[in-house]
Amino acid sequence: MMSAVRLSPRRLSYWAALAELGGPALGGVVLFAGRVRPDRVPGGRVVALDYDAHVGPALRRLEEIASIARRRYGARRVVLWHRVGRVQVGEVSVIAGAACGHRAQAFAAARYLIDELKATVPLWKTVRARPARRPRPPLRRGRARSAD
Amino acid sequence: MPQEVTVLCFGPARQAAGTSRFLFEVPSAGIRSSELVAALAQARPRLRPTLQVSRFLLNGEVIGPCARRVRPGDEFAIHPPYGGG
Repeated sequence: MMSAVRLSPRRLSYWAALAELGGPALGGVVLFAGRVRPDRVPGGRVVALDYDAHVGPALRRLEEIASIARRRYGARRVVLWHRVGRVQVGEVSVIAGAACGHRAQAFAAARYLIDELKATVPLWKTVRARPARRPRPPLRRGRARSAD
Repeated sequence: MPQEVTVLCFGPARQAAGTSRFLFEVPSAGIRSSELVAALAQARPRLRPTLQVSRFLLNGEVIGPCARRVRPGDEFAIHPPYGGG
């Protein structure tokens, strides 16, 4: 079984997260996944993000957030996972999920988890961009000239 | 006995410092954290803008507004604003 909180250099799986949130009495399950977007940036277009973490304090803070979500929103199961290292466009960088008795609690808990993670967990990203391709100039029609 | 603290740099601080960690000499009796930050800004001017917006950890614990004593052998982390998600 995977733990409730995690920093991982490996791909994050929605299905593994959903399995972690299972339980017959848990009627409300909310799973948020954040993916890397191919945004335009001054250097071109984003192709990947490199995530850096201060691992010890980051794991401690993730545990605290998960614990508060359990206590404050009655979340019976919680998932709070984040990638570290290089994450390509389209890949999942973060998963925050909560399983509660009812949907209102589950939405509130998941919202709390992702908002607190973004604001208070020591993680940083560096953008990896590829320069945008310039359109090719149109071919000139006309006589070919010799070099001499 | 070591006469240095280990400075850990993350995110923009790492880019500005050009490294994820370095040793920084301090007096054997230690130095106040606010004085250490000022000394770092003077020794590594490229770190200065990041230091102005960062929070700091001493041996893994967040340092509050009150200055703490940083002694040789300690680990001092620079945390620029967070950017997870």
